Amino acid sequence: MVAVNIQSVWKYYGKTVAVKDLNLLCRENSFLAILGPSGCGKSSTLRMLAGLEHISAGDIFFGEQRVNMLPPKDRDIAMVFENYALYPHKTVFENMANPLRLRGVDKAEIDRRVKAAAAMLQIDALLDRKPMQLSGGQKQRTAIGRAIVREPKVFLFDEPIAHLDAKLRAHMRGELKHLQRRLETTTIYVTHDQLEAMSMADNIAVMHEGVLQQFGTPSEIYNHPANEWVAGFVGEPPMNFLNCRLELTSEGVVAVHPACRIRLNDAQRRILEEKQAEPDVKLGIRPDNIAYRAGANSGLDIPATVFVTENLGGDMIVEVTLGDDRLTIKTKIGPIANLDDPCTIAFDVSRIHLFSTTTGVAYF
Amino acid sequence: MASREIAQYPSSTRRVLSVATIIFIAFYLLWTLLPFLIMFLSSFKDLLDAFQLPAPGDWGGVSLLFTFEPTTKHFENLFVDLNFGTYLGNSLIASLGSAAVSVVLGSFAAYALSRFDFRGKNDLFFWIISTRMAPVVAVLVPLYAIFRSLDLIGTLPGLILAYTTFNLPFAIWILKGFFDNVPYAVEEAAMCDGATRLQALRMILPLVAPGIGAFLVLCVLFGWNDYLFASIIGSGGAKTLPPATIGLVQPQNIQWGSIMAAGVVTTVPMLFLGLLIRRYLVAGLTMGAVRE
Ligand SMILES: Nc1ncnc2c1ncn2[C@@H]1O[C@H](COP(=O)(O)OP(=O)(O)O)[C@@H](O)[C@H]1O
Ligand SMILES: [Mg+2]
Repeated sequence: MVAVNIQSVWKYYGKTVAVKDLNLLCRENSFLAILGPSGCGKSSTLRMLAGLEHISAGDIFFGEQRVNMLPPKDRDIAMVFENYALYPHKTVFENMANPLRLRGVDKAEIDRRVKAAAAMLQIDALLDRKPMQLSGGQKQRTAIGRAIVREPKVFLFDEPIAHLDAKLRAHMRGELKHLQRRLETTTIYVTHDQLEAMSMADNIAVMHEGVLQQFGTPSEIYNHPANEWVAGFVGEPPMNFLNCRLELTSEGVVAVHPACRIRLNDAQRRILEEKQAEPDVKLGIRPDNIAYRAGANSGLDIPATVFVTENLGGDMIVEVTLGDDRLTIKTKIGPIANLDDPCTIAFDVSRIHLFSTTTGVAYF
Repeated sequence: MASREIAQYPSSTRRVLSVATIIFIAFYLLWTLLPFLIMFLSSFKDLLDAFQLPAPGDWGGVSLLFTFEPTTKHFENLFVDLNFGTYLGNSLIASLGSAAVSVVLGSFAAYALSRFDFRGKNDLFFWIISTRMAPVVAVLVPLYAIFRSLDLIGTLPGLILAYTTFNLPFAIWILKGFFDNVPYAVEEAAMCDGATRLQALRMILPLVAPGIGAFLVLCVLFGWNDYLFASIIGSGGAKTLPPATIGLVQPQNIQWGSIMAAGVVTTVPMLFLGLLIRRYLVAGLTMGAVRE
């Protein structure tokens, strides 16, 4: 297996810049997810890795080998396409057998491997069908099957399970991750679904408008987002943001919001001093890190009013109004509050993030 | 059309329409097939039998058409006395040859135009089809002059070339449409599977085969039915069936029997070609390849 190294890669389509100066390393045998909203250049990156797209500038290495000028067949990759790209005139079996046939694998072995992959993907009953007779999810699984019958140097997955229903998607997440661990194949997995990236990948590269925003482990991405954009993109429900002003008082540094004052701890104060933070900041806090109690004077620091409550079964989402802002809070289920009921909330200060209002870069 | 199982519900309009459709088809078949039937029968009739026609309105007299002593003398006349074997061969070589050249070259050109972007592509494409905009007669004279200086007049290669000048632009134009309909992603998948570019092209050929097959027939028909080129560029050494048939019309003696037989000889091969190619003309093969 090989490491995949992307060095200063750019991709232009005419005047459109799809990928800007991308540097990424996917270690040998590891699972890298490229995460970002649609149109951020994920597929373009993957297609350059596959050799389907010309690399406008920069280099791509598989191990020691520079592959810029290598056609797809010589890169020893297996790719799953976003839009399936099945052979319409071939059966599911033939579709999956094709990469093996092209490499001259003998018949019995083809039969064995295709059937094993089909069983894992739960399409073994469909082997004689043509793509036209399959549902979207079945087509997608056939496309995955075509990639995993081989043991290539690198797996390239372009949103491979995006069109499956929720239950099957959860199943496939487990199967694909298990497969990657068992085969130990270097895998690059493109998705717009943070849950897939968080649950499967060793490392995540978050992209936005062709620019790499952050590279790190799932927990780094979640707990230490590099900037406001990553913080807002990763996490469900998304992080809350409040515009605040930093003030140095006798109690220490306080983030002042028209409707509340939040005292920061000493570690945070040191970081702000070190980085010479400007006084205007954006405060971010995840819905799980805000405590909530119903009723006026119910004991927490900050008074607020309920905007709406959503029951999720075990948990509930409460949206509260704080001054002119609205905060989403995720908490254990309790009594469902009515509109405009008073409540009190408190921030878990150690889980607060502060971002520069001018650059969006995180102070912490 | 999402499915092959189309739901249909009975209604009185539908019943009336289906009866009307059957009546229309019956008349249409009669109208188109009767001339062929009469030609076919007449080619086996003696001249006297051939002109035994029922009076208008005399439906009982239709049986007259079928009462005759079959004779093959017209066919013998064509093939033994008149050299029609050679003309038939010329017709086959010229039309099949030109069709093959046009479809092979046309496929490659159409593939390139469909898959690659290069400067001036649209202009090139328009120029290709614009060569077909002038009527055949308009270019016949210059073509004749060119062919004569190349010593191609009256030769089969000359005739093949002449037909190809007309078939090729059309082939490129039509076949590009067929390639455009095959998603490029299918070829990309093939290349990721380990195919070379050419192997990937071969992989999608079955998807354009119906188009290519249909167009092959059109090209063959163009050459086969052509009279203008054949009589001018092919005159002499490369006489084909249409000019040869016209040759049977002489001022003092129109050889009706032989003309009918020549008509049969001209029709039958195309009939077989149609039957042969029919099973390849299955449309809708590209459905389900990619997510739209
Ligand atoms: N073949 C193409 N021609 C022109 N622009 C393209 C092409 N493919 C992608 N783009 C543009 O490049 C950007 C990135 O696209 P893509 O890599 O497909 O994003 P993603 O896979 O993250 O949704 C988009 O703005 C898209 O419109
Ligand atoms: Mg994409």
